[in-house]
Amino acid sequence: MASQTDYVTLISNDDFSFVVQRSAACISPAIRKMLDPQSMFMEAKTNTIRFDNFNALVLEKVCEYFYYNERNKDARDVPDPELPTELVLELLMAGDYLDC
Amino acid sequence: MSGRRGGNRIRGPQSALTDFLAANNISAAQIRDDYERRRLQAEADNAGNGEGPSNQAPEQDDDEALAVAAQAEEDDKKSKKRKRVEKDAVDKIKKSKASKKGKKGKKGDPEDDDDEYDDELRIYGKAKPMPGQLEHCDVCNKRFTVTPYNKEGPDGGLLCTPCGKELAKDMKKEQNAAKKSAGTGKKRRKVESDRLDGVANGGVKSLVQICIEKIAKHHEDIEELGELPQSVLERLGEIFSKNRVLKPKTLPLFLRPDLDSVIVHDAAYLEVEDYQQIFAVVPKMRKLVLGNACQMKDGAIDYMIEKCGNLQHLQLYAANLVSESGWQKVFREAGSKLQVISLKWLDAAFEDDVVRDMVKYCPNLERLKLKLCRRLGEDAVRYISDIPELKHISLWISNEVSNDALLSLVEKRGSGLQTLALEKFIDAEDSLLQAIHDNCTQLFKLRFSENDTVTNASYTALFTDWQNPPLTFVDFNATRHVDNNSSEGPEEAIGMASSGFKALMAHSGSALKHLDLASCRHIERSAFFDVFNGGQVYPALEYINLSFCNRADTGVVAGIFKSCPALKRLVAFGCFDVQDVVVPRNVALIGVPRAQDAIEQFGFGLGVDEAISKMVEAAA
Repeated sequence: MASQTDYVTLISNDDFSFVVQRSAACISPAIRKMLDPQSMFMEAKTNTIRFDNFNALVLEKVCEYFYYNERNKDARDVPDPELPTELVLELLMAGDYLDC
Repeated sequence: MSGRRGGNRIRGPQSALTDFLAANNISAAQIRDDYERRRLQAEADNAGNGEGPSNQAPEQDDDEALAVAAQAEEDDKKSKKRKRVEKDAVDKIKKSKASKKGKKGKKGDPEDDDDEYDDELRIYGKAKPMPGQLEHCDVCNKRFTVTPYNKEGPDGGLLCTPCGKELAKDMKKEQNAAKKSAGTGKKRRKVESDRLDGVANGGVKSLVQICIEKIAKHHEDIEELGELPQSVLERLGEIFSKNRVLKPKTLPLFLRPDLDSVIVHDAAYLEVEDYQQIFAVVPKMRKLVLGNACQMKDGAIDYMIEKCGNLQHLQLYAANLVSESGWQKVFREAGSKLQVISLKWLDAAFEDDVVRDMVKYCPNLERLKLKLCRRLGEDAVRYISDIPELKHISLWISNEVSNDALLSLVEKRGSGLQTLALEKFIDAEDSLLQAIHDNCTQLFKLRFSENDTVTNASYTALFTDWQNPPLTFVDFNATRHVDNNSSEGPEEAIGMASSGFKALMAHSGSALKHLDLASCRHIERSAFFDVFNGGQVYPALEYINLSFCNRADTGVVAGIFKSCPALKRLVAFGCFDVQDVVVPRNVALIGVPRAQDAIEQFGFGLGVDEAISKMVEAAA
């Protein structure tokens, strides 16, 4: 069984891989649960999550958000990140799915 | 010359330029020496010249210099006049330099040395033209006569007067913009508003929140929202309502035949056809919420009854065009399925008789809220007492209602009630709380606000040996005695005071989430300290409102931080003894005065213990 790595891989439904820091990815409670070693999920064993519901464009923005969130956790008056208007609805669904 | 002169010396590699200059008999050293000499000469002349005119307004100088320079230009010969002008100009430059230095920081001599050094260096760069000479503007490339007042352009060259003015204008604009963005003004207000809305608690907004705001901003461009989950759709509807962009054009975004609810918190822009569209598109709805439904008429009600047979939850706000008969029809024809009715701000129609009909035809009613319906009175309360399944009741009736009517309500329905909210019943007396104590055993939420007759002893008795499990939501705001002749209040405290508060927390502290004690001004500081002593922990408490409890001070707030690990918001308007609070992480402290630059304070990065130790440091 693979040990806890510092980085995890998120794969979009069009087969793009995004390697992100575990700490950043775990900002989403949903991802945190998937990667929880106690859960014995496939995802936790391989440190890889495949998202069949988002494409690379959306997943990229989601990853960007993770890092934005991690960086600004304790800051105040943080400016909102720029999101492309055409992706906002899909991002909204993704955010709702990932609970973040 | 210099190249040859040092024939015996060891030299570094020479540049092509030096070679070229040497070949043409031009010496850099000589040029520098000449420049130095001219400069010294000019300085000596100035010194002899004494003080020139000094206090002229800059523009005048400008014009004068320009005029003189123009004249000088005509004169090809080096007239005495021109020399004088030149000297004047140099003089002025020196003065302006000196004054600038003075402003900079009065360092004095060392800077002068720097200046000399600069002067020496400058000859290797492009020399600044002297006033009176001609120069090409750095921006527009026009030829102009140099004056002491020409501004320096972005690339170091001089600017002509019009371009200089433009530049100054731009600079000012930039400065203003910088001030604005750095200034807290509008931004702070926005942050404050967000905080009061509970949107942000420091740190970063959630991705969902950011997206929703962005969508609301671009509401005009959206054609369809797709298969958004209902919770997100509702949140989006709330934001649309708040921004007042829920109009006939955007309404269809929120109507989907597969939904079982329609929630429009601001329906003010919707017209007759829009109401029909709502009921036509979403006939399966079980829950209907329309705020500001000011254009909803009997016709819409008829259509709703006809189309939406499953309606269980009806919540309307300010639906004032619905007539008496319209309301009767709702209850008679759709009443059997209704479980939740919530009506607020009905002025024109809706009388006690309609309430009687409602009670008669809605046997399954579980949750009822009637607030500020102007025509309702005591009879309505008596009718409501006969709703068999009633579990949640919220009343705010503008007309007088006697204590007896409320007593009979609590006695008849109290045993089944989970929510009891009675606002502004000024005639309620001690016996009402006694009745609550005796009859209610399943309450989760208790609100009893704005009353000045019930004594503190009754509150204490209510929470002493009460069979009811701990409450999660308590609101006793503005239960206090107000008499302008005795500002301290009566000796026997009226309203929620120290012992009542202690009894409340002893009874409900373990489960309490929401505590509103605004304006309970008789709660003593010692009672706050006893309750929030740091040792006793209230694990669920998320919201506390202490506004205008004027005995609460900084120590009380620190105790609250310590005793309430789950705290999210602490509202403390008008608590003037709360000062210099350091707010721990994830907590929003709202309304503390004397902190004008931070009316909204929220913690960032500090744990509770760190924050408290900081406060202690600050106080020491």
